[in-house]
Amino acid sequence: MTAYFIRRLILVIPTFIGITIMVFTITRFVPGGPIERIIAETRAMQMGEQGGRSKARAGQGQPLSDDQIKKLEAYYGFDKPVLQSYGIWLLKVLKGDLGRSTRYQDPVWDMVKARIPISLYFGVLSMVVIYGVCIPLGMAKAVRHNSGFDNITSAVIFTGYAIPGWVAGVIMLVIFASRMDLVPLGGLASDYFADMTLWEKIKDVAWHTLMPLLSYVIGAFTVMTLLMKNTLMDNLAADYVRTAIAKGLSFKQAIFRHALRNSLIPIATSFGNNISILLMGSFLIEKVFNIDGMGLLGYESILDRDYPVVMGILVISSLLFMVGNILSDVCVAIVDPRVRFK
Amino acid sequence: MAVLNPVTKAQLRRFCSVKRGFWSLVIILILMFISFFAEVFINSRALVVYYQGAFYFPTYADMIPGKTFGLDYSYETNYRELKQKMDREGGTGFVVMPPVPYDPYENDLRLNEYPPFPPSFSHRHFLGTDNVGRDVLARLVYGFRTAILFSLGLLFLNYTVGISLGCAMGYFGGKFDLFFQRIIEIWSNIPFLYVIIIVSSIVVPSFMVLILIMAFFGWISITWVMRTMTYREKEREYILAVRSLGASHLRIIFRHIIPNTISVIVTYAPFAISGGIVALTSLDYLGFGLPAPTPSWGELLSQGWQNMEAWWISAAVVSALVVTLMTVTFIGEGIREAFDPRRHTVYE
Repeated sequence: MTAYFIRRLILVIPTFIGITIMVFTITRFVPGGPIERIIAETRAMQMGEQGGRSKARAGQGQPLSDDQIKKLEAYYGFDKPVLQSYGIWLLKVLKGDLGRSTRYQDPVWDMVKARIPISLYFGVLSMVVIYGVCIPLGMAKAVRHNSGFDNITSAVIFTGYAIPGWVAGVIMLVIFASRMDLVPLGGLASDYFADMTLWEKIKDVAWHTLMPLLSYVIGAFTVMTLLMKNTLMDNLAADYVRTAIAKGLSFKQAIFRHALRNSLIPIATSFGNNISILLMGSFLIEKVFNIDGMGLLGYESILDRDYPVVMGILVISSLLFMVGNILSDVCVAIVDPRVRFK
Repeated sequence: MAVLNPVTKAQLRRFCSVKRGFWSLVIILILMFISFFAEVFINSRALVVYYQGAFYFPTYADMIPGKTFGLDYSYETNYRELKQKMDREGGTGFVVMPPVPYDPYENDLRLNEYPPFPPSFSHRHFLGTDNVGRDVLARLVYGFRTAILFSLGLLFLNYTVGISLGCAMGYFGGKFDLFFQRIIEIWSNIPFLYVIIIVSSIVVPSFMVLILIMAFFGWISITWVMRTMTYREKEREYILAVRSLGASHLRIIFRHIIPNTISVIVTYAPFAISGGIVALTSLDYLGFGLPAPTPSWGELLSQGWQNMEAWWISAAVVSALVVTLMTVTFIGEGIREAFDPRRHTVYE
């Protein structure tokens, strides 16, 4: 089994190279890169200085000399063949250097580091809420299968499943923030945050957290609750629960002592996949609520063609994704001794 | 025939017995019918014009110049004005307009007033207008047509690629399987939004281009499911039996494996459709979807987000989205129930 996981870990390397080399190549052949932006900005500056008189000439001509462009290419590493500059980039990443943003000139790692706590905050909170609601709800639904309670909660969680989180965010903003003025329009803190006392700060952040958190969790209840319900029902129908009841255990004891433990296996194993979601957030929700997290950073870096940031986030997210996959298999192996990986 | 198969019949009966799913199917079919014939219900062209003893049906015909009806221009007749004129003049002529006399592209501009206009029955803007004065209801219905056609096309492409590739991976296994597993792992990590932005910076994404890009990334999940199912099915005794009888690989796959995995494929379909609608809406919301004047829900949503005072825009599109996605999800739930009835023991 250890051999299996070692093989899985080794397989991460070719996959990682495959992912990064593909995106790296794409960044090379896309119009609108950093050099073109500088050219456009210089052109706009010249046009502003010279006024409308020479507009036609300035628009046609190349504002930078060939020499300057060559220097820029060398600065951004565009002067070498793709594979060669990919190699340089990969070596730097292995040394822990993700490069500098071409837009803000800040080190990529610092930009990412500043965003991680925000995304992690929402990730952990929503994880807690999701597991805290889904496990008891799934249990209650399994025990009362086909009752009124079961049907109503099913309808409710399926409604939540049907609405994408960010759409729920938009409508909540319109109703509660704009029309009723109950909650703030977005962001994570009020303008006077620095002047507040500790208690006010906590209240303020909680107030700002409420709606984004709801958007994050609204769609996630369904899958987890139904998973919990179905596995618990499978286990309740199993022979060992019948035996437990036959030997005189009460129904409650049979559930909590025997059925529940086995039903938690699939829930526990899905935990590994949550790592990447936990840290990366959702750029759509972050955009709607104007939260400056990892998702929004990735989205904006793609829009700005800020390639070092794009690549840096790709490195982090793909590693998290692959490690998470392996981790969830490890969880399966630990929780369920019947599972054997070859 | 699959229809006469008693198992299929039983599944159909079971599906109809799940009330929530059945009525959702009825609702979504009605909505699809309305949107496919939306020109009859929501259009700036009249349904019937009776003018000087002759009937005209402009809805699906070529454009009729204003001169035909005694107006002083040769571009397309403005039927709303024609109706007002005929009503004023009396006489035998009449114009029958659709219930919503606006098409999704025209701006209903008024003097000294600025859109968005709130819902009003007298102007026949039942759900109001958007930020540039286009009828919200018209854009909703035409946008629904785009979204549902988009999802169906996407579903078809994804399933074609996913089923064939997944089947091959599961059936042949070995190096082939391992190779495509790596490909899939790489594929699922490429930021999909990135490719969309790149493509839209080179060409304006048309309907077909957008479907192709989405299918480019959408085949993964169904391939994965198909692979697992084929893997499981391949090990069964009956496959061993047909193989020892001398059946070819193609025959085994098409006559035995696919019919036996069809239930999973069908169960995933409604969820794939709702996924397609959400994906198109999200892209349009961000502005990377279909080009500008195309009626779309995502574009309406972003208008609603920018202009929160005009609550009717976001309220209309969110309710439409919720109703559609909910009915589709309920259909999916019903199908799952029909194909995979779980009978459980409950202790008292």
